[in-house]
Amino acid sequence: MQFVSFAFLLLLPVAAIINFIIPRKFRYIWLLVISIAFYLSIDLKAAAVMAGTIVVTYISALLIDKVSGEGSEKRPKSALVILAVSVILEIAAMLIFRSGKIMGAIGISFYMLKSVGYLVDVYRGDVAAEKNFCKLALFVSFFTQVISGPIERAGNMLPQFSYPVTVDFDRMRDGFLQILWGYFLKLVIADRLAIFVNNVYDDPALVGGTIVAIATFFYSFEIYCDFAGYSAIAIGVSRILGIDVMKNFDSPYMAKSIAEFWRRWHISLSTWLRDYIYIPLGGNRKGTVRKYLNVLIVFAVSGIWHGSALTFLVWGLLHALYQIIGFITMPVRDKIVAVLKIDREGLSHRTVKTIVTFLLVNLAWVFFRAPTLEQAILIIKRSFEFTPWVFTDGGLFMMGLSQGSFNVGIAGIALLITMDILAFNGVEIRDRIIRQAIWYRWIIMIAGILAISIFGIWGAGYNASSFIYQQF
Amino acid sequence: MKIRFVNILKVLAFTCVASLCVYGATVVLRDKDSEYKYADFFDRADQIDVLFIGSSHVINAINPVVLYGEQGITSYNMGGHGSIMQSTYWELMEALQYCNPKCVVVDTYMLQKDYKYLDEMNDDYSDEDRASSIAQLHLNMDCWPLNKLKVAAVNDLIKDEEIRKQFYEPFYVYHHRWDVLKSNDYKTLTGDGDRNHFFGAEMRYGIELTPGIYPNPEDDNGLGGDTIGEEYLRKIIDECQGRGIDVIVTFLTCSASTDDKRAVDSARIICDEYDVPFVNMQEMGVVDLYTDLNDTGHMNANGAIKATKCIGEAIAELGKCQDHRGDPAYDYWQQRAEKFYGEIYDIALSSDSVYQELNYLAGADSVGTILYINDGSQAFGDNEMQRLIHNFTVTPTIYHTDGPYIMIYDPVSKKVYEASGTEVLDGIDTSFGTIHYQPVEHLFRLLYTDEDPETNLLYDDAKIDYDIQIITYDAESGEILSHNYFKSYGSNYTKG
Repeated sequence: MQFVSFAFLLLLPVAAIINFIIPRKFRYIWLLVISIAFYLSIDLKAAAVMAGTIVVTYISALLIDKVSGEGSEKRPKSALVILAVSVILEIAAMLIFRSGKIMGAIGISFYMLKSVGYLVDVYRGDVAAEKNFCKLALFVSFFTQVISGPIERAGNMLPQFSYPVTVDFDRMRDGFLQILWGYFLKLVIADRLAIFVNNVYDDPALVGGTIVAIATFFYSFEIYCDFAGYSAIAIGVSRILGIDVMKNFDSPYMAKSIAEFWRRWHISLSTWLRDYIYIPLGGNRKGTVRKYLNVLIVFAVSGIWHGSALTFLVWGLLHALYQIIGFITMPVRDKIVAVLKIDREGLSHRTVKTIVTFLLVNLAWVFFRAPTLEQAILIIKRSFEFTPWVFTDGGLFMMGLSQGSFNVGIAGIALLITMDILAFNGVEIRDRIIRQAIWYRWIIMIAGILAISIFGIWGAGYNASSFIYQQF
Repeated sequence: MKIRFVNILKVLAFTCVASLCVYGATVVLRDKDSEYKYADFFDRADQIDVLFIGSSHVINAINPVVLYGEQGITSYNMGGHGSIMQSTYWELMEALQYCNPKCVVVDTYMLQKDYKYLDEMNDDYSDEDRASSIAQLHLNMDCWPLNKLKVAAVNDLIKDEEIRKQFYEPFYVYHHRWDVLKSNDYKTLTGDGDRNHFFGAEMRYGIELTPGIYPNPEDDNGLGGDTIGEEYLRKIIDECQGRGIDVIVTFLTCSASTDDKRAVDSARIICDEYDVPFVNMQEMGVVDLYTDLNDTGHMNANGAIKATKCIGEAIAELGKCQDHRGDPAYDYWQQRAEKFYGEIYDIALSSDSVYQELNYLAGADSVGTILYINDGSQAFGDNEMQRLIHNFTVTPTIYHTDGPYIMIYDPVSKKVYEASGTEVLDGIDTSFGTIHYQPVEHLFRLLYTDEDPETNLLYDDAKIDYDIQIITYDAESGEILSHNYFKSYGSNYTKG
């Protein structure tokens, strides 16, 4: 069962109603039942890997807690050994099963990071080891996050399982709107752009340069809409079930620097890397060179986490390089701004920074999407070949999208950018909609449902498990 | 508690409104082929006495409006494009939910097909064939509501569970039609969508000039009796006989391959087993292979008229089907029949093809024809042209003349008059008037009536280069309906 399936759409209301009816203190059991059923329906064999992860995480955390003693600030070496062994075990399992050589385990990159984060938190004393096995199992396997995150923290999730909030009508509406937006991003924009991108990236040598550039531009929005769409559905479903899940995206393409981009893109992973790798390595507290080295390490890890291909490593290192160059050139840039008397807060300056940041991110995505480094370099080269006649000779519509479908994709991107600009400026769209009169809300919701049903890429021939991040 | 109740009501109301909107979208977006074909079936199911089932050969060869016009028998053409016997069987089962026919006519084209699932077929077929087969099944299936029978049908015809979904709920495959919507798609919302005027039949108006002739099989043992097609033909006959419905098995005229002829033999063997009549039109000579086919497989409208009359006689012989002509409850059928004949003459008279025009005029009851071909015309060396003229005259004159040549067909007297070379026609009585014809010289000839002796109908300065003229007139009023000129280039003709 996938988020994009009729089975899921039919079962969600049933799950929500039962969750609503049963006593709050037992809700975590119901959520665990759903989570187990959800995972089993996707991958029966891989459930054994997840069960093993849960058992190892549960026992290791209890042991760390036990050997550490109550109230002790300083952890004994035995706790560190237990942590190290369990983390190595889990990371090794992640690398082995993710490669698919023995067997694949869907979502392992996500729930393994959750487990490792939890163990480190227990070791640090930030959270107590969970004694209720079911709650820990639910934390690791919570069905809205198990396939593609967000990579949640135990400190946020475990208390919610113990003390779930009341699911009121506003929460339902908010969750519903978020789910609708998620499906819109995924089915109307991401999967539509994917058709164009796949056609071009399958053989970039055969198409005009401008089309290749447009495909790369589209890919930036495809991956954003795909992943942010999934996250929105996950967050919305969780909200309907009474669980608040962390935000995963915050208008990332509005960022004015690469560092800011990473504060807005895949936030749950970025903060995980920050908290469990960058800061333990010393962060920016141990000198400039060490800071640069730490940035390189963190982004190399991020690249490797996304996949074993060299292209992912290059993608990660490119982002590290952007930031290091940004740090190095900062005095020069400051000087230029001062000499030219540029208003840093002016709209034009902010817009230029946003566009430059987007173009840098866009360039890096080529390595993320291309199957090989050679192909990535070919795509970049082709992108600079100017063939503007594709706009008028119909070539643009030979890449799998009719003119109408292409226009829907462009309209979708325009809507997304508008929403992001509003969100970036502090306008809470969902909140605004919910505060409107009932007829207004209904029009928006029904328009959303119709837009997804009609303009969405689904149905015959559609692969429901095509979320990009599901492969990681 | 009150707030909770109000909220539940709001959720229910929203669900209803949203569902209604989505339903509206499914109506607008769904492909209209199936409901176009079956709209009259659902509206008049209680009046239908005969069902025609089979492939596209049936769709093009049997015209229920002709059957009604000739015999007063009500029928519906349930043929499906690419419909093999198992699809045909399920089509019948679906139809029998709505009507109680007295007779079922099943055509056996593609009886030799020996694969179970349309999405699997066998190694002889390409992926495009499979895709086409699935797409064609939608015509048969989309109109039927989802119920146990439809699920059984889809499961029996389609192996892939993912593909089955598009038949359970066609929106699954049609939601992407938003960029090809036409006005008719929206009209369906108000029930005003277009519908098939021929009770499921589709008429084609071309002519296949070179149908292939294939050798007969070495024996008459047929296909062996064990093909999936044969299995389902037996099921169809069993089902009909179990319900007390008469069955007629047919093989409609086409450019039959050797395999097709084996299927004919098998159909005959099965008919003998079950003691049901087998109308093998292939051997009856009712339909002219050279003038009545639209392509090698399908009949044109002229062929359909002949084939329908022939099958109509076989149905009438069974004696169960009533003549409904004159019954006010069946006026709709009469109107459709009249409309068809009106349309077919319009098509004939406005056609750019001299072949097409002559082909449809040959069978006309209400339109008279005057055909003139100048001497030296290349039409005299064109076998197809000669064959079409021979359809009017049944004499060999056209085969032995270099022109000039004139042929007058008067539908009121049912007489045909011919003259060639220096021959004249003098005082021919027709509903057009009393006609006189006299050749004078290469570019000049006379054709006039006593009623209007000043008008020479076969001379026009502006059309002097055109070697063929066809004048048509209304059989009742004598009014000229059309006067078409053609110029021959070998066997190609240009309309002037």
